[in-house]
Amino acid sequence: MASSREIGKERSLGGRAHFLRHLGENWAIYRKNPMGMGGLGLLVLFGLMALASFIPPLLDPMYHPMSGVDPEIDTSVGPSARHLLGTDFMGRDILSQLLTGARVALLIGVSAAFMAVAIGTMVGMVAGYFGGIVDTLLMRLADIVMVLPGLLVILILSSVAGQLSIWNLVLIIALLKWAGVSRIIRSQTLSLKVRPYVEAARVAGASHTRIMFRHMLPNVLPLSFLYMTFGVTSAILIEASLSFLGFGDPSTVSWGMMLQWVWKTGHMFKAPYWLLPPGICISLITLAFYLIGRAMDEVLNPRLRKEVLEQ
Amino acid sequence: MNLRKFLLVRSGQIVVTFWIILTLLFVLFRLAPSDPLSVVADSLMSEEEIQILKAQFGLDEPLHRQYLLYLWNFIRGEFGISFHYRQPVVEILGDRLPKTALLFTTATILYALAGISLGKILAWYRGSLLDSGMSFLGLLTHTFFLPWLALLLVWVFGYKLGWFPLSGMISPEIWLDPESGFLAKFLDVLHHMALPMGVLFLTHFGGYMLVMRTTMLETLREDYILTARAKGLPEKVIRNRHAAPNASLPVVTSLGLSLAFSINGGALTETIFSWPGLGRELVASVAHGDYPLAQAAFLFIAAFVLVANLVVDVIYAYLDPRIRY
Amino acid sequence: MNVLEVKDLTVQYLTSRGRVHAVEGISWELRQAEALGIVGESGCGKTTVAMAIMGLLPSNAQVVEGKILLEGRDLLLLDAEEMRTIRWKRIAMVFQAAMNALNPVHRVGDQILEAMMAHDGELSEKEAQRRLEELCAMVGLDPRRMKDYPHQFSGGMRQRAVIAMALACNPTMLIADEPTTALDVMVADQILGQLRRLQLEMGLAILYISHDISVIARSCDRMGVMYAGQMVELGDTDEILDRPLHPYTRGLMRSYPKLRGPKTKLEPIPGEPPNLMDPPPGCRFCPRCPDKGASCPTERPPWIQAKEGHWVLCHKGEV
Repeated sequence: MASSREIGKERSLGGRAHFLRHLGENWAIYRKNPMGMGGLGLLVLFGLMALASFIPPLLDPMYHPMSGVDPEIDTSVGPSARHLLGTDFMGRDILSQLLTGARVALLIGVSAAFMAVAIGTMVGMVAGYFGGIVDTLLMRLADIVMVLPGLLVILILSSVAGQLSIWNLVLIIALLKWAGVSRIIRSQTLSLKVRPYVEAARVAGASHTRIMFRHMLPNVLPLSFLYMTFGVTSAILIEASLSFLGFGDPSTVSWGMMLQWVWKTGHMFKAPYWLLPPGICISLITLAFYLIGRAMDEVLNPRLRKEVLEQ
Repeated sequence: MNLRKFLLVRSGQIVVTFWIILTLLFVLFRLAPSDPLSVVADSLMSEEEIQILKAQFGLDEPLHRQYLLYLWNFIRGEFGISFHYRQPVVEILGDRLPKTALLFTTATILYALAGISLGKILAWYRGSLLDSGMSFLGLLTHTFFLPWLALLLVWVFGYKLGWFPLSGMISPEIWLDPESGFLAKFLDVLHHMALPMGVLFLTHFGGYMLVMRTTMLETLREDYILTARAKGLPEKVIRNRHAAPNASLPVVTSLGLSLAFSINGGALTETIFSWPGLGRELVASVAHGDYPLAQAAFLFIAAFVLVANLVVDVIYAYLDPRIRY
Repeated sequence: MNVLEVKDLTVQYLTSRGRVHAVEGISWELRQAEALGIVGESGCGKTTVAMAIMGLLPSNAQVVEGKILLEGRDLLLLDAEEMRTIRWKRIAMVFQAAMNALNPVHRVGDQILEAMMAHDGELSEKEAQRRLEELCAMVGLDPRRMKDYPHQFSGGMRQRAVIAMALACNPTMLIADEPTTALDVMVADQILGQLRRLQLEMGLAILYISHDISVIARSCDRMGVMYAGQMVELGDTDEILDRPLHPYTRGLMRSYPKLRGPKTKLEPIPGEPPNLMDPPPGCRFCPRCPDKGASCPTERPPWIQAKEGHWVLCHKGEV
């Protein structure tokens, strides 16, 4: 007769192998989803753009997105062989700026979302697992954070703190966005708390941390991952909005900043080659993550999948 | 559990939440700048003014006294003097608030109702060309970056076609002319409101439409819809009287949850169109370093959001008898 | 004339995985002021029959063959609009108490009034209210509760409300689909008693559908047994309960506990019902039948009247 400790161990190992096996299955399902693959394709495109952003300045210093000076051009002109998307009001290459924007967007988006989800998952699990006053306090905090309009909070913070650098921004976004995730994770934790293998682990004498990290976390991760895709869009949009309003990090170029320049320098009516690309990129990256998120939702939520079959 | 008690509880929660926000703001503004005086007075003020403000905000007093004074000032509506406008902050914001309310509330009502009606119809005609087409359109506009869409609309409809003014809320010529009647002024405001509302509408209706469509499809699978069919009721009645009221409930909830997001959009819109509202004032005051105005604008907006949340809750309670009884 | 006659009804569902033979060639009739019960396990097709009668089959269902005659008129030939006028006015349905049969956002009274108004545009408000009170009296509900919402009603009260709603237009017949599932035993008994009274007092014909044979035994004059989409036995309730002819019916009897009489061992029927996407060519019960004959696996059994008014679907039908 296996001891309860052994049973607990077996179950916990089962938990991890379970999760990995599921990953393979889930990917197979995801692959069949046209929306998901489309979104992924777009994401890959932006990833390539981000990587390619390092190339133009290496080709010729005049292609540098911020300090590039073209000896022959010092105003905004349309696309040509020299500058595939034209130049901005200072003669800087727009394509180069666009590629850098992709890098900045992905960097900020993924970092902020990752941090937000990490915080949110921890808070959600702790709240759900311990319940009682811890739960109440944490969720009330989440409520207050959720009610605040993020963009405006960051604005007021920057009025006091001065210019925000990219990493400051990532941190602040994470501190504002964890709340939504935490609620979902908390619900999930509540339902996981009563599963047999958790009870078994508790009986076997596992500590709270062990139960949370070894047993619950693998089952909560898919949800966290899903919310990360929503979070990336959110973060990118906040950065873009901030930069658009003129509060972005001046040491780098982002799509929002490009839009700010085209607006503030009075070129919006005259330079579609400058106005359109950044906006299209922001919209497409939003679309990409939306599609990925929807596809992942279907993968994780079998109910949605079943409907497609039984039409 | 009836409506009055519900309202009371929710109002209480709002007061507490607001008080916490108020306190956090106090901490923020007293903590960060090196000289607390710079928060309420700038170098252009006279010595007299500075003394008055110092007293009003208790800057020579210990911190906890300052805090109480701060709360008391808030209740009195005393927010100091704007550096930029050289006017009492409360006057400025008092002027801006109704304008934000006008734009924001009208836009929200329009896109929420449109989203709900369209979503209802799409679910009914599921799988049709209308469904695919509109769903796609809704998704597309939903992903547009709001400032960018605004710039595009201004370019096409304001600049190229000249149908709408490029910015502002009123045309001074009409309003200054003593002979302009009420109708002329009213239409003028509407004319100016068109593009900003268009932007807000386009970027928001898609979300509601898609959510309503989903909830309608789920509602149509409910047993009471089968009952309604069995009762021999006409399809239109089933859709509008039985399915839609139930399907609207989650949509109203999501309206409440996305208020923070919409306010962001509202602030961006006001800024781009120079619509004289709270959002634009907040952005401008932060850019100018006008601390008193920035703080107060933020508080006003926060209060606005909280009240809006309450309104949505009330609407939900009204629509769902399970809350009221 | 019989209130309802079903002749050779065959219904199939088209799914992405194949065609489901849900109901196959069933024939029975519901007489005036009679209570007929259809009993069978889940998946046997009894709900499909009810939906077919009401014209509420889902879009992927196909009535391949058969007639459903309501007082001589074939319902399957009617178009959607005509069917809509018949529904509730002539045939009404009482749904399961477990179901969310009442719309949560409308008052109970309003939903009953709606049923009335839908079929009688000229009904005055006063008359409608009077009828509502009448209905409440019939089912044992306090008329003052009509202003409440469904969530404020208990399970038993909801079921009564659903019955009242069904009676609103004075229908010729009632279909009661699992009327007592999800109700506790005492309430269930009251509800069944109420329905029986209504049947006798109003001369209402009621079709009961249930998986619970005790419901059928208590409430029905005649009963039919369905298995795997076919009707395997039909006749007088007492007759069938005392002397079941079909091996499935016999198996059912053996697997039900009896309150009185000597204690007998409960015997479940071995095996499982057939896959209706690919039903066996011969008798569908054959694989589980303890009494197989030579022709059973391959030849469809005949529907024969073994005794007066007692029909059975079996090769060994002649007693």
